[in-house]
Amino acid sequence: MVLTIDGLTLEFEGLHPLTGVSMSVDDGALAALVGPNGAGKTCVLNCIGGFYTPKAGRIRFGGAMIQGLAPHRIAARGIARTFQFVELFRGMSVLDNILLGRHRHMRSGLLAGGIFWGRSRREETLHRRRVEEIIEFLELERYRTELVASLPFGVQKLVAIGRALAMEPTLLLLDEPSTGMNREEKENLARFLLRIKHDLRTTMLWVEHDMELVGDLADTVTVLDFGRKIAEGPPAEVLRDPLVAEAYLGRAYVRERGAG
Amino acid sequence: MARGGGYFKTTYAADLALVDTRLRRRALAAFVVALLVLPRVASPFILDLVAQTALAAIGALALNLLTGLAGQVSLGHAGFIAAGAFTTGVLIENGVRSPLVALPAAAVVGAVLGIVVGIPALRLKGLYLALGTLALHHVVLYACAEFQNHWGANTGVSIPPPAIGPWVLKGAVAWYYTLTLAAALVLALSVNLRRSRAGRAWMAIRDREIAAESVGIDVARYKVLAFVWSSAITAVAGGLFAYHRAFVSVEAFGFFLAVEYIAMIIIGGLGSALGAVLGAAFVTLLPHGLDALVAGLRLSGGAAYYLFPLKFGAFGLLMAVFLLFEPQGLVGIWRRVRNWFALWPLRYRPLRSAS
Ligand SMILES: Nc1ncnc2c1ncn2[C@@H]1O[C@H](COP(=O)(O)OP(=O)(O)OP(=O)(O)O)[C@@H](O)[C@H]1O
Ligand SMILES: [Mg+2]
Repeated sequence: MVLTIDGLTLEFEGLHPLTGVSMSVDDGALAALVGPNGAGKTCVLNCIGGFYTPKAGRIRFGGAMIQGLAPHRIAARGIARTFQFVELFRGMSVLDNILLGRHRHMRSGLLAGGIFWGRSRREETLHRRRVEEIIEFLELERYRTELVASLPFGVQKLVAIGRALAMEPTLLLLDEPSTGMNREEKENLARFLLRIKHDLRTTMLWVEHDMELVGDLADTVTVLDFGRKIAEGPPAEVLRDPLVAEAYLGRAYVRERGAG
Repeated sequence: MARGGGYFKTTYAADLALVDTRLRRRALAAFVVALLVLPRVASPFILDLVAQTALAAIGALALNLLTGLAGQVSLGHAGFIAAGAFTTGVLIENGVRSPLVALPAAAVVGAVLGIVVGIPALRLKGLYLALGTLALHHVVLYACAEFQNHWGANTGVSIPPPAIGPWVLKGAVAWYYTLTLAAALVLALSVNLRRSRAGRAWMAIRDREIAAESVGIDVARYKVLAFVWSSAITAVAGGLFAYHRAFVSVEAFGFFLAVEYIAMIIIGGLGSALGAVLGAAFVTLLPHGLDALVAGLRLSGGAAYYLFPLKFGAFGLLMAVFLLFEPQGLVGIWRRVRNWFALWPLRYRPLRSAS
C-alpha cells in the first residue's frame, strides 16, 4: 500500500464534504476516484495534499502519517498533483513551469542563483535535461518556449501533468485530467497514463468523470457520493453496481427537476 | 533574436546564455565601451545624471525582485532607503567613516527590517499588504526623525565623502564609475535570479500560490526571503545615496519617493530587470526633461508656477497610461521595436517573443 486513508472526515462550518471515507491505493496502481459533482473527490485530494486539514481520520503515505502537514512538506515526501482548474504559472513558459517541478530536486539558493556560476549553472543544465525528457514524453516539444496562458486548455492540462511528473513523485494525484479535452486529446491522455504506469511505475490516484476512460484504464475504482464511499472494486463490477448508477442518475434527475 | 535567423543552439548551456547571438554580444560590448569612455566626452552634469540613474536603478531592481518577481506589493521602499541612509549617518556621527563598515551595516539593517515586515506580510495580500508596508515606512521615518532631532540637526546631517584608508571617493567621474558598477552588479544578480531556482520560485508564488506549494516551494520562507533581499539591497542603495548626496535628511524619503520607485518598475515593465533600469532612467531624467521644456517654452513666471505641481502629477498619469496601454512598459516597446528591425522588411510575428 502506497497510500491508506482511514475514516477521513472533513467539515466546513456545518458542511460535511467528507464523512468517514476509507480507501487505499496499491503500489503501482492506477486507482480511479469517481462520483457525481460535489461528491467530495477534490476534497479527498486536498486532504492528501495538505491543502485541507481533516477533522478526523488518518492518511498514511509511505509508512508515515501525513495529515496536517503543510502542502510543501507533503510534496517533498513525493506526492505530486494536478488541479481541476489547471493552476499553472501563467506568466511563465512551458519550460519554466516544468522546471518548477524540479524545485525539490535542486539545491541552489538565492546567492548561488544570483551569481549563476559553477554549481548553480551546472545544476540548471542538468535539470533542464530531465525537463526535456518530460517534454518529449508528453509530446510538448512545439510548445516548449510558449507562455502557458496562450496555450489551448487541453495542452495546459498536459503541461500540468508534466510539471507534476518532473517532481518524480511516488504518488501522482490527478484531478479530472480529461475534462475539456476533445476525443483525440483524450486518446493521447489515455496513452500517457498507461505509459506513466508502465514505464515510470508511478502510482496514481485519478479523479475522473469520463466513465469510458475509467472502465478502460483503471485498476480499481472508488465511488463517492455526498462525501461517503458507496462502492469500490474492479471497474467492471463497480460501474455495473446499481447503487452507483443511482447516484449518477439520481443526481442527474434531481438536477433536471431543479432546472425545470 | 538573431537577425534573419540561422542560429542553432546545440547545448542547454547555450540556451541559458543571456547574450546569445553575435549581434547581441557586439551590442553589449559596444554599450560597455560607451559607458567606460563616457567620462572622456561628457560633462560632469551628464555624468551626474547617469550616476543618479544608476543609483535609482539599484533601488528599482531591488523593488522589482520583491514586486515584479515575487509579486509582493510594497509602498515601504522609501523606508528601506531611509534606513540605509540613516545607518550610514548614525555610524558617521559615531566616528565610523569607512563605507566598508557602513554599507554592510546598512545591508544588515535592511535585512532585519525585511524580516520585520516580511513575517507579518505573510498574512496580508494586495492592498492590505500595500498599507502594511506603508505603515512600516512611517515607523522608519519616525525613527529617523528622532535620530535627526537627537543630533540637533533639524534640516539634516552632512556626510563626508566615503574614504577607505587614504583613498577618498570624490568627484563626478569617480562617483559615475562606482555607481554604474554597483548597478551593473545588481542588474547581473537580478537577471541571474530570473533564470535560476530561487527566482523561479518567486515567480511561481507571484503567479499561483497553491500551485507553488504543490511543487514543494516553502511559500512563507521565499516570501520573507524576497523582503529580506529586496530591503537589504535597497538599504545599501540608501547608504550610497547618503554618501553621494553628502547629506541625509528625513525630508528626502517621503511617500513621494516610494511612488517614484513604483513608477520606475511599472513604467519600465513589471518583472523585467531591463525594465527596472529603463524605468529608473526615465523617472530620473523626466524632471530634467520637463525643466528643459519649461525653459525652452520661455513661459512667464506664473505659468511656470502652475507647471510645478503638474510635474508631480505626471508620474501618476504616466503610471496609469502604462498600466492601461502598455502593461509591459518600456521593455515591451523596446522588444517590439527590436523585433520589427529583426524582421525588416518582412512583417511576420517573431517565432519566439521571450527574453
Ligand atoms: N473550501 C471549501 N469551503 C466550503 N465548502 C467546500 C470547500 N471545498 C469544497 N466544499 C464543498 O464540499 C463539497 C465537495 O466538493 P468537491 O470539490 O470535493 O467535489 P467534487 O467531487 O470534486 O466535485 P466536482 O466533480 O464538481 O469537481 C461541495 O459541496 C463543495 O461545495
Ligand atoms: Mg472536483
